[in-house]
Amino acid sequence: MLLVEVLEKLNILSAAAKYDVSCSSSGSNRKNKPGGVGNAAASGICHSWSQDGRCISLLKILQTNFCVYDCAYCVNRASNDLPRAAFTPEEVADLTINFYRRNYIEGLFLSSAVWPNPNQTMEALLRTVKLLRTQYRFNGYIHVKAIPGADWRLIAETGTLVDRMSVNIELPTSESLQLLAPQKKRENILQPMKLIGSQIVESQEERKQSRKAPSFVPAGQSTQLIVGATPDTDLRILQLSESLYRRVHLKRVYYSAYVPVSTNPKLPTLASPPLNREHRLYQADWLLRFYGFEAKELLNEASPNFHLQLDPKSDWALRNLHLFPLEVNKADYRFLLRVPGIGVKSAQRILTARRFHSLDFEDLQKLGVVMKRARYFLTCKGKYFGQIPYREEAIKEKLLAKPTKVENYTQLALFSDVENQQPVQDALTSITGEL
Amino acid sequence: MIIYLYDGSFEGLLTAIYEAYYRSEKPEQIMAQDSYQPDLFSQPRVIATDSDKAGKVYDAIERKISHEALEHVFYVYLSELPGLGTLIYRYLQFGWRVGADINGHLSLEPVREVLRISQKVGVERHRMLGLLRFKKIQGELYYAPFEPDYNIVGLMAPHFARRLADQNWIIHDLKRGLAAFYNQERWLIRELANNTGQLNWEENEAFYQELWQNYFQRIAVEGRTNRKVQRQFMPARYWRHLIEKPTQ
Ligand code: SF4
Repeated sequence: MLLVEVLEKLNILSAAAKYDVSCSSSGSNRKNKPGGVGNAAASGICHSWSQDGRCISLLKILQTNFCVYDCAYCVNRASNDLPRAAFTPEEVADLTINFYRRNYIEGLFLSSAVWPNPNQTMEALLRTVKLLRTQYRFNGYIHVKAIPGADWRLIAETGTLVDRMSVNIELPTSESLQLLAPQKKRENILQPMKLIGSQIVESQEERKQSRKAPSFVPAGQSTQLIVGATPDTDLRILQLSESLYRRVHLKRVYYSAYVPVSTNPKLPTLASPPLNREHRLYQADWLLRFYGFEAKELLNEASPNFHLQLDPKSDWALRNLHLFPLEVNKADYRFLLRVPGIGVKSAQRILTARRFHSLDFEDLQKLGVVMKRARYFLTCKGKYFGQIPYREEAIKEKLLAKPTKVENYTQLALFSDVENQQPVQDALTSITGEL
Repeated sequence: MIIYLYDGSFEGLLTAIYEAYYRSEKPEQIMAQDSYQPDLFSQPRVIATDSDKAGKVYDAIERKISHEALEHVFYVYLSELPGLGTLIYRYLQFGWRVGADINGHLSLEPVREVLRISQKVGVERHRMLGLLRFKKIQGELYYAPFEPDYNIVGLMAPHFARRLADQNWIIHDLKRGLAAFYNQERWLIRELANNTGQLNWEENEAFYQELWQNYFQRIAVEGRTNRKVQRQFMPARYWRHLIEKPTQ
């Protein structure tokens, strides 16, 4: 390979891929095989952090950025004048292997623009993946895009070789799609998602019967939604996520604050990407998946967007003060999880510690509870430590008091409440970029 | 004040724990011989390392307390922090009494300290699994120098033996002059001075390094720059051995 040529291609095809936010390498425990190279780490591993503070885990590139479509929000749209390139499957495989052997990456995230049609695009992706798995005997992590509109057989075969697959929905409603990506049909996007989802469930069942049954997308399926390119509310977005988690067994929905890439009048003019909003959506998504919340508890038609100064859980708690304050020494796990400032880990630690003695206010801090939020919603041995009247406005004022100092707008900032004194296991996951 | 001194090895430390349990003269501190500073009040007792006795303590921790506790003790040992001998002694004294529940007793100082330090070592190990960088030397050998805060090279080797199973590699802790060597079959740890001299890189090495540096610069989304988070997860002290250049 020629340096200048590959360098040029890599520059073009990584720049075009970077707006895909997922870089997760977790959830798969693919083992290395004799004579092979690579395995997947179930908890995921970050190999670097880029200048925007995001974890770099996978080599994230496009097979090509030539595109026949013209989606208004996308840099690769056909009408955009920018340098184009295409990798051969051999080039992608060689880069992946050589980066991997030097421990730069955890694996490959391969995506593509659509060129010259969905089937041929999917075929190119499949060829690359096959080359890596068979010829290069690569057993590291691979995440591949499924191209809407491609033949199911191509997608299905790819699924047997990779760890994760995703189909990006990008725009939450048909109307937005109609406006910004009129060549795309919502049904064409949802269709492969459903098929992949049911194939995953089926293969999990088979593998319960026999360990030898082939795996299918063992790290699950994900998608991405763009936030702020359309007038869609947080409520609409969150409801969509909720139904994807429930109905198509999605592993993750990623939210990507819209980065202005075009001056198309159909798109909003933004001074900067709506990072704060994206952050709130991640927090709410977390509440759906691990805290037993439902979208309709967090938002409703009357207030369909998140409060930008209050995290969604505090916001919910303030509207439901009649359920609090909670006695830490008695409360159910399910309810502990609903207390602002208590996370999954700290709730579990409260349960463990409670077995030995009843907890004081000071103990909670040691268990990793964020007291500056939790104190208003708890009692310890019957005592309330809020030190202010138990009223919505009073508490709200306190919670808002410190204009949350420059928040880290990464997914990781969600877990600041468990940063202290966690045992080894969660420390491992807390630095992987995805929990 | 009685102080037990061990030879600095993990076996030595476990022997000291054994003696502290059986001898009538209980120590107030346990420390490695070379960190001991004689003074008027202390009465040092040099403990000779005995692998049988160490083995008994090792098994007892696993059986009477838990495997997890054993792992924490080992991680704390690898931290090489001052006071670790005494800390482990106190932790185990308590562990013999309460058994497997020990790590639930977070109100106790030694338990909290052990968990805190063990976690730090675990975090560095995990971080390094990602940040370690191999360079290819002529003759099918990959070489990765690093300077970890804690003595974790032995914790990293099994991971790379599974992952990079079909290549020869060396992971070199320059700070401690220790290295893990792997020959596609087994790995072992040996001393390796940090003056390896001029290494002959394989022909393509610079090519892939340049590709990676370029990739690293370009993958960040403009308008989202956040160096603070970058530093938080990838502290500057680890940058020296990276291929990419976070400073630019
Ligand atoms: S099809 Fe994909 S790559 Fe092509 S313009 Fe639309 S979003 Fe961009």
